[in-house]
Amino acid sequence: MSYFFQLMVSGIVVGSIYALSALGFVLIYKSSRVLNIAHGQIIAGGAFIVFALTVWVGIPIVLSFLASLVITFFLAMSVERIFLRRLIGEPIISVIMVTIGLMSILDGVIYLTPFGSMNYSFPEFLPTTPLSLGGVSISWTQLVGVVITAILIGAFSWFFKSATLGISMRAVSDDQLASMSVGISVPRVFGLAWALAGLSAAGAGAIIGNITGLNYETLRAFGIAVFPVVILGGLDSIIGAVVAGIIMGLIQQFAAGYVDGNWGLNGTADVLPYVILLVILLFKPHGLFGTHEIERV
Amino acid sequence: MKRFHYRRWVVAVAVVLALAFTVPVQAADTYKLGLSLAITGPTSDAGNPYSKGVEDYIRLANDTKILGDAKVECPIRDDMYETAVTKRNFEDFVDQEIVLFLSYATGANQALAQDYNEVQIPVIPASMDKSLMAASKYIFLPIASYSHQYVGVAEYVAANHKGGDTPKVAAFIHPSAFGRAPLDDFKNAVAAGLKLDLVEVVEHGKDLDNSALLQRLASKGVQYVLCQTVQSPVATLLNDAQRLGMTAKTFGEKGKITFMGAHYTGGNDLIALAGTAAEGFHWTTSYRLTSEKGPWTDWQLDLAKKYGRDEKTANSHNYANGAMAAQVAVEAIRRTLEAGQEVSRESLYATLNQMSGDKAFASLAAVGPVSYSATDRMGVDAVQLYVVKDGAFRSVGEPFKPKYLK
Repeated sequence: MSYFFQLMVSGIVVGSIYALSALGFVLIYKSSRVLNIAHGQIIAGGAFIVFALTVWVGIPIVLSFLASLVITFFLAMSVERIFLRRLIGEPIISVIMVTIGLMSILDGVIYLTPFGSMNYSFPEFLPTTPLSLGGVSISWTQLVGVVITAILIGAFSWFFKSATLGISMRAVSDDQLASMSVGISVPRVFGLAWALAGLSAAGAGAIIGNITGLNYETLRAFGIAVFPVVILGGLDSIIGAVVAGIIMGLIQQFAAGYVDGNWGLNGTADVLPYVILLVILLFKPHGLFGTHEIERV
Repeated sequence: MKRFHYRRWVVAVAVVLALAFTVPVQAADTYKLGLSLAITGPTSDAGNPYSKGVEDYIRLANDTKILGDAKVECPIRDDMYETAVTKRNFEDFVDQEIVLFLSYATGANQALAQDYNEVQIPVIPASMDKSLMAASKYIFLPIASYSHQYVGVAEYVAANHKGGDTPKVAAFIHPSAFGRAPLDDFKNAVAAGLKLDLVEVVEHGKDLDNSALLQRLASKGVQYVLCQTVQSPVATLLNDAQRLGMTAKTFGEKGKITFMGAHYTGGNDLIALAGTAAEGFHWTTSYRLTSEKGPWTDWQLDLAKKYGRDEKTANSHNYANGAMAAQVAVEAIRRTLEAGQEVSRESLYATLNQMSGDKAFASLAAVGPVSYSATDRMGVDAVQLYVVKDGAFRSVGEPFKPKYLK
């Protein structure tokens, strides 16, 4: 039985990190209907900023983490201001193409730094002895990752539900013209969405980097790896990202634990999330919590 | 007007003199190699120090006049680990009349093997896939193949496992031609009598948590996991095993798992990524390491220092890997010149094939001499086993040749 619970705990840990990684996609899509293809690069960038501040500048890691959230917040806001602001009102596909270009530019910039081709790891700042209960163990790294994820997701949920700016963002997401008519600055909301997406990506990057080590290829791959989570949850739903993230994490762990290695099967942990995604989308094309839009022609 | 004519004459004479003096310099031969590898993209953590090793050794060869007045050039191109780009780079290099090609990835070499045969150009790859030698007679592996490294650790398991039972092993491999490269030879060795029980072959993904995998393997009684992949997934695996309390503190510790791997799984980057979880990781390669004192360490660190490399690069076994590939190429050119032959693809191919017996090339970077013949184009035959102890790789025993592979 402890085997089952270990898989469940691992699934929740992995799933919550997926959820945080997926949040950046959702925040941008929610306000501007744009999929940011460069999300994986921002995730990696956040992790590298934490490392650089901690190891090269010598700032304590907790402060580095907070600083990285602030830095990526403003960096992502600048990216929106420089590259995407002027595309407001242009076809969505043009904006998506710009994010593909942005991905290449960020790749190039990171390859110019040592992070592009060197492996690093954060200095150990948590106890290495795991927490164990009834045969189920969780490392401090994972536990802290889950706690940070929960805090960030809770903060975002509160922000969208109660803060004036968050409500403005939801309004823009619903109807841009109506929002403008009541005095909401749509460009400002877009900038804020990118900034918050950058912040969440940095948080995810730091957590993933602490688990896997800092390898650029591994980190940026999470931008694509969480795509099924985003689609499954519904592109514009924060709660959807959380639920779908945890579902995906659990599916992966249970597939690896019970299916892989049996009946000649292997690698189902990587394939099964996509199979489940297809099946769910057959019945719920907008994802589990996505907005069901009805267009009257 | 007269003054204008005078100036033109002065310029003309200066140009003629300049040309006259540059002619002797141009007369010295320059031999061109070409290197295409992943400086960016997947596996660039290995490719980047490799390229610096090649670059530095080529500079050293020219600066210390290893080839006398002749020079060697080696333009380096990034192929981003994409076969199509490697092919384009190779074709461009061939147009530039290179005499030897330094290549990289297993997949790209498999795809280009026919091109090598058509162009008839000697190739030294960073990949150590044994099947490449069958694909093209122009491919010369610098060191022991992945199969030799992998079967080497397996033989160590069979020979040192305590208890009367047959040790149970799992293969943890990269989902690619590179990862699968040694598997057939490993299975053949088991079929030929290597006393091991291969319980499962795991082609890994980008996993954040390997709890399920590790517990599944433990439930099947797996005692040894043999890895053929790159460092990052191994580091995650080691971290998870440490968290679950599954890592063997000593080799073959009962009820625990001992982790082992071939060339690209190990090195300083693994320790950087896995930290204390890397302790006890066993690893084979044919290179010597700077974590141990010896003339090879001085040689490698001096080379890196001379050309201003950082400490991380200087101590990378992939830096040694690149430097040695360039060293073998330069040595082939030197021997060809020494024999009074013209340096060409054909003559270099012949020279490499004669690099055996008392003509084998001893490089400080490797644990044995580089030796090639028409029937054996694997450079260094021996492998050295290392283990992580107190945060550094330390050698275990002497270099050895796997018995189950020829």
